[in-house]
Formats: sequence, structure tokens, C-alpha cells
Amino acid sequence: MKKIDYSILMIAIILSAIGLLMIYSTGGTGYFLKQFIWLGITFIITILISQIPPRIWMNFSPFLYAITILLLFAVLIFSTSYPKRWFNLMGFSLQPSEFAKLGTVFILGYHLSHKKRLENFKDFLLPLLMVLIPAGLVFLEPDFGAAQIFIPIMVAMLYWAGMPGEKIFIFFSPLISAITSFSIFVWLGFISLFGLYLYLRKRTSDILYGFIANPLVGLMTPLIWNSLKVYQQKRIISFLSPWLDPKGMSWQIIQSKIAIGSGRIFGKGFLSGTQKRLEFLPERHTDFIFSCIGEEFGFIAIVVISLLYIYLFYKLLNLARTTKNRFASLVTIGFMTWFAYQSFINMGMTIGILPVTGVPLPFISYGGSALLACFTAIGIVLAISKTRYEY
Amino acid sequence: MEQELKRYRVFEAGLILAFSLIIIFSFKLQIFEGKKYYRLAEENRIKKKYIMAPRGKIFDRNGKEIANTRPGFYASIIPALIDSFTIEKLAQILNIDKSRIIAKINLEKNPYVSLKIAHDITIAQLSLLEESIEELRGIEVGVEPLRNYPYNELFSHALGYVDEITKEEIKNLPSYKTGDYIGRSGLEKVYESHLKGKDGIEYIEVDVRGKEVGRLSEYRPLPVEPGKDLWTTLDLELAESTAVFMKEYERGAAVAFNPQNGEVYLLFSKPVFDPNKFISGLSDSEWQALNNPKVAPLLNRATMSCYPIGSTIKPFIALAALDANLIKVEKTFSPCKGVYYLGKRPFRCWKIHGQLSLIDAIINSCDIYFYQLGRFIGIDIIAEYLNKFGFGKETGIDLIPENRGILPDRKWFENKYGKNWTEGHIFNLSIGQGDILATPLQLACAYSVFANDGKIAIPHLTKIDRKQKREILIDKKAVETIKKALSGVVARGTGVLARVLDIEICGKTGTAENPHGEDHSIFVGFAPAQNPEILVCVIVENAGHGGSIAAPIAGKIIKTFLLKNKLITVK
Repeated sequence: MKKIDYSILMIAIILSAIGLLMIYSTGGTGYFLKQFIWLGITFIITILISQIPPRIWMNFSPFLYAITILLLFAVLIFSTSYPKRWFNLMGFSLQPSEFAKLGTVFILGYHLSHKKRLENFKDFLLPLLMVLIPAGLVFLEPDFGAAQIFIPIMVAMLYWAGMPGEKIFIFFSPLISAITSFSIFVWLGFISLFGLYLYLRKRTSDILYGFIANPLVGLMTPLIWNSLKVYQQKRIISFLSPWLDPKGMSWQIIQSKIAIGSGRIFGKGFLSGTQKRLEFLPERHTDFIFSCIGEEFGFIAIVVISLLYIYLFYKLLNLARTTKNRFASLVTIGFMTWFAYQSFINMGMTIGILPVTGVPLPFISYGGSALLACFTAIGIVLAISKTRYEY
Repeated sequence: MEQELKRYRVFEAGLILAFSLIIIFSFKLQIFEGKKYYRLAEENRIKKKYIMAPRGKIFDRNGKEIANTRPGFYASIIPALIDSFTIEKLAQILNIDKSRIIAKINLEKNPYVSLKIAHDITIAQLSLLEESIEELRGIEVGVEPLRNYPYNELFSHALGYVDEITKEEIKNLPSYKTGDYIGRSGLEKVYESHLKGKDGIEYIEVDVRGKEVGRLSEYRPLPVEPGKDLWTTLDLELAESTAVFMKEYERGAAVAFNPQNGEVYLLFSKPVFDPNKFISGLSDSEWQALNNPKVAPLLNRATMSCYPIGSTIKPFIALAALDANLIKVEKTFSPCKGVYYLGKRPFRCWKIHGQLSLIDAIINSCDIYFYQLGRFIGIDIIAEYLNKFGFGKETGIDLIPENRGILPDRKWFENKYGKNWTEGHIFNLSIGQGDILATPLQLACAYSVFANDGKIAIPHLTKIDRKQKREILIDKKAVETIKKALSGVVARGTGVLARVLDIEICGKTGTAENPHGEDHSIFVGFAPAQNPEILVCVIVENAGHGGSIAAPIAGKIIKTFLLKNKLITVK
């Protein structure tokens, strides 16, 4: 039964091929060739990685995590660009935040696979620390889009590792407090319902935590809000009221919606997107590449790509379930959450149901580091699929 | 195991929910609202651009261009793309008020139409705009055909001028749009629809910065229909000469036309203005100067100013008396002793003439003879005949508006002075003083009755078919008699200074007293006496005697015309 599940690799390659096509349409030959070279390199690396047994990754997890954290420090110190996101390496730029996602999945998998029982608040502390270090460093670059990814990855892996859902909900309730604190009445409503829920659960630790953390966060958030960068505030405001400032942030959302909507069922045809061609669309080959797909290939393409993603995630989910090795299973869930969350956030942004957070579409958007990081994950997943019945 | 399955289901449900949301909202965008977003995408990229139709040229009678077009640079904006920074910068470069640009933007309902905000910008402004065009969104510069008057102020009153249409006018003129020009006076106004043409429409594709990327083949453009040319009867050389003859006088008017067919050769009014100045827009001070009521350069004195016509009325009084069979040519009245008493009120003559017959009274312009003749035939006959000759009525020239002047009759006097108006009013009327007022053109048209054997010319400036004269019931013999007298005026009477070589010219001088200072000098005449080709009326304001100022100018105009048309030759 030692057989690699190549269908996972196939879907990843199909998605990348669609990406290459759209990068040609949106960025021209230059970007196309660069991405093509990246994809070639990446493919070789993927095949090599798929031959490495997952056990080795587990043993090296703390080391790999440490390297990615060091890279994040290094980029903050040595990067000459602003925002401080890239290293320039022989004409190619490397983005350490992409590799930090890998490192973080490894360390969480390493840590959680050694834990027998997960049920107390103190079990959150170490994973939270492991995540907040890279997330905080990426946030400082600043790259809010990349920083946010670490949280859902952690939540998903904790849950998969056995942490009860209710516990996670209570633990993260201050986050809901933070969001609702912008309106005092909504926040009071949440706090009263949440209080009732805690009261019915009748667990002292939950009640204590809930009633200390929530009011604290609810009061702190407005203070933190004022310390945000103006463009970050703008992004959030523009999401809440997109027609307020048609030439600003929401202008991107409007143009993206126009692009996708105007594609209708079959699209305007390859290379014929007017929103794209005349540059009404922002970030055409990176964050908003999905809008170009919608414009040039229509609803059909959106359904096809969604189905491809679902199929890939479904494969990963099943692999995580059938894999006997706990580390391998957790890592697979971590990767799946990473891809799924990022693709959902990106697509949701382009169709205007989620805020603009500057997240690339996995496998499709232009960007060598993201491609390499995603395919490294795919390589590891392939190795896992080969050894899935081993402990 | 059960726990694991539960976790698996939670992930599964999460995935399905997330991607269902994506597909459902994409369905909403692309299928339900696809049409709307397609339209929005098209509006993003497709902008409508008007191509200005060149205004028709205007030619003089010999085919010389007296109004044409020249290329001028314009700046236009697409309101949908413009931002406040660009407006500010634009206002600064073009040196216009920001609020004026905003007002124009608010005027146009469709924000996807390219809107002209400045015509005829200078090369310096153009290069400044071109320099910063990268940072300015939705701005465009281009070339358009602008009205040009090669002879500047020479035809200012006959041709009139064009300037930009106001927002109030657009409301009533749906075929016009912001930035269009419209004829304001003269022929430009009368023949506006003939000259204007129809602007073309082009659909252009623009990128996100509003820069033109190309034309669109899938939208049918509307071709430009240039305005039609206008052939006038005006004579360039005559206008140029007249400007020289009138050089030393500040205010006045001169008209000349063919009495047989009404073709107007000359329509001159002074002071003049330069119609080219209106194209790029006038400053407030320039506009105020043009509207100064003391100078009134925009006033066409030939058709709009009313003057007392002085002694030039006398031939009409005489003709009325003869035609109504009230007197014979030999009729005499009390001799002229320089003054005539009506009761205790003295009515003077400008000279002591002694006893005169009708003919001599015209030749020597004796006031005292005409006081008595006017009283003899009475106000009703005078008013009836003056009305026949066109006083108090529009001449029918193709220029609007036209002043009708004032022709007083019995009712008019009663309204103004009550029942007890006196014979003194008739005295004054008989020598063209007091209440009667006429435009130079009206006076000229009335004289065509002598030039034309009893027909009144209807003057016109264009060769477009129209009625050339109107017939009036009049005794041809009486007309012939007065015409002889008019010939005598120039040959040996008050109008000798109008004499041109050995050509027989008929004419009459007039000296109009007026409250504004020195008398207005008037002369009306036509030549050659037999089969006349030109009828001239010259009025020089506050210049003195008709015989000494207006007569020589009229003579020179007649001479210029006759020489040019080889009706005489200089030995």
C-alpha cells in the first residue's frame, strides 16, 4: 500500500497552470516567464520532498520553526523595501512570511502530537505563543493579510488535536468582544448572551476567564484601533461602508465586483477583460487575479476553480483522517486550513463579501515564495500519503 | 472514534459552507446582476466625445473669406474620472475660477461625456497641462476649429459675433451643449442654424487614468456635419475704404446697397469691436468696456440707432404734395427771409433764400418753404406718405433686431402732447426735426423710391432667395420731378461735395439738430442717376453740416464702388 496519492499533486498543478495562464493575461510575458521558472524549480523540489519520510520533518520541527522565525527577524532588520516583506536574491524576491506558515504548522504539529490531553486554558498558552511570535513579526512588516493566517491555522490544529469546540469558543470570546466593542450596544448584547451561556455551563474557570478577559478586551480595542496605521483603518472602514469613498479603498472592491459581474456566465474571453486591460482592476496578477478569472471566463470558471479547491481540501481532510501518525495528521490539517482560509478570504474579498486584506490566492496568484511554500506543503502531504498507514 | 468523526464533519461542513458562499455570491454578481455590472464596466471604459463641427465660412460678394475657422487648443474633462486635486490644478493652470469648472461639471447630466472647459488655451497653458497630464486624471487636450474673422473689426456689425452658450440658454435649446458657440448678433445670429453644422460623436476607450486608448469600432460614430457656407452681398473693398473715409470720426454709420435688387454692399457702424475677442472669452473689464452706454461699440448704428433725419425728409414731403395733387411744381409760398413767425414764435432758416419754387427749395434746402408746404398739405398726408416710404416700419433686412424708428402722426401727437399740439410740430416734422426718428438703413430704403421709380428696395445681406423690393402706389412723373431736384442738389446745391467726376448723382443733405452736442451730418444719395447701381446713406454723429462732412464721404464711397465695377474710368 506504499503509494503516493498523485491526484493531490495533479490538482495543485492544474490550479498553478490556470494561475500561469491568468498571470500571462494580467501581467504579460515578463511575469509569466518568472512564474514559469518558479513553477519549474518548485516542481522539482516538490518531487524531492515527497521522498522524505514525514518522521524527519517532525524531528526537525523545532529547528525549522526557529529558522523561519530568524528569517522573519532578518527581513525586519535587513529589508530595504517598505513594507519590509522581501529579501532580494538574484533577481528573485523571497518572502519569509510564506515559509513562516510552514514552520508554524510544523511546531504546532510537533507540540500538539506530544500532548495527550487538551482541555484547560493553560493548554492554549504554548500554542498561542508559538503563533503570536511569527504573526507579530509579520504584522510589524507590516503585512496584516499574512499575519492573520496564523490564527485560524492554530484554531484548526487545536481542534483537530482534541481541544473541545466550546473551550475554543470561550477562549476566543475576547476576539468577538474586540470586534463588537466598536458599538457599545452590540457588545453589551454579546456579553449578556455569552454570560448566560457561561452561567449555564457552571464551570468556575470558564466564568472567571470569560468575565475578566471580555471586558478588558472590550475596553482595550478602541485604544488599539487608534494605534493602527491609517491605511489599515481605511481598509476596515471601507469594508464596513464600501460606497462611502468611491475613489479610495472601496474603489478596488467596486472595480473588482464590476469585473467579476461583467464576466457573466461565460466571461469576456481570454485576454479580453476590459476592467483588467484598462487597469481599472488593482493588483491584477496578485491579490485580484480571481477577479480577472471571473471577468474573462465567467461564472463557469468560478465554479470550476471552487470545485477544484474543494476537491483538494477534501482530499487533504480525508488524508488527515486516515493517517495513523498524529504529527502527519495534524500537519495535513494545518496545511489544508492554510490553503482553505487563504482562498476563501481572497475570493470573498474579490466578490465583495469580505474585507480587503491583501491575501494571495494559493497556487494561482503571482509570487514565487507563496508558490514554493504551497508546493513544499504539497510535497510533504504527498510523502504523508505514501506512509499514511505507518505509525 | 466518534469524536474524530465529529471533528471531520465540522471541517467538512466548514469547507462546504465557505465555498457555497463564494459560488452563491458569484452567481448573484454574474447571473442576477451581470447585466448591471456589464453596463458599469462599459461605462468605465467608454466615453462619449463630441467633435466640434467647423462653422460655415462667410464670403463677401467676390468670394473673399470674411469669416472662417482656425485651429485652437481646448482642454476638456471627463467628470466621472476627475478628482478635486485635478480640478484645483486645472483651475490654476488655465487661470480660471475653480467654481466655474465645478458649475460646468454639475451642468452635464452624463458624467461619461468629455466636457470642454476651456477654449483657445495658449501654448504655454497647453504645455503646462501636457507636463502634468500623468498626475491629472480625466483631462484631455485637443484641437478644434474656432471661428475666426480675418478682417477683425471690419465687419463687426454686419457679421456679428459668436460666444459660448450660457447654462440658462441650454435649457431652452436642447440641441446645444456646454462649451458650444452660438451666434450673438449680425449674420452669425440670423443664420445660426445654417452656419452651425452638427457636431460629430466619437466613442473612445479610456483607461483608468482617463487617457484615450483608442477608438471603438463596435459603437457607430456620428460623423461631423460641417456648417454650410454663407455667401453674402457685402463688398470687402468698400468696407475697407469706408473704414478709411470714416477714420477721423468717432461715431457714425454708413450703408450702401443696390436699390434695384436690395443687395447690401456695405453695412458699417462706428465705433467697432473685434469679434475675435469673444472666442477665448472676455474678461469682466473687457465686457464692461463693450457695454459702456456712452460708446456702445456693440450697437449696430446702421439698423439700431435712431436719428432725426433733418432735411433729408424734404424730398418726401415734396413727393407727397405732388402725388396727392395738392400742389404743382411751380407752387410758391411766402419768400424766405431767414425767419418765419408762427404767431410770436420764430422758425428760422439756415440762409435767406427769397422766393423759391419746389425744385429750388429742395436744391437749396430751404426750411421756410417746407414749413409752409408741410402746413399746407397737413399732418395726415405727411404721415400717410412717410409710412408708405417705410418710416416707422422695419425694412425687412435679414438682421435682427431692427429698430423701427418713430413716425409721428395725428394720433401720436395727441397721445404725446394732448389735444392742443400745435402747427409748430408740423413745422418741425417738415424739416425732419423734433419727433421723427429713423435708422440710417430706413432712410436709405426710403430713398430707393427715387432710385427705383417708385419701388422700395428690401435690403438683404445674403444671396439666399428673398423678396427684393415692394411696389407702392405713386405717380411716376412726380418721382421723376423730385429725382431731378435731387440731381440738382449734388450738381449745384447743398450736396456739391458729393460730386464724383462727371457722373450724375442724386442726393440730399441733412443736418440733424440733437441734444447731444454738434449736429449730426447726413447725406443720402444714389448713382448713376439713370439706372442706379448704388444707394448710399452716411450719418456722422456730432460732426456738423450734412453737406460738409457726410456728403464727401458718401461721394468717396460711390466713387470707390463705381471705379471698382468699371462704371466709370479715371482719365
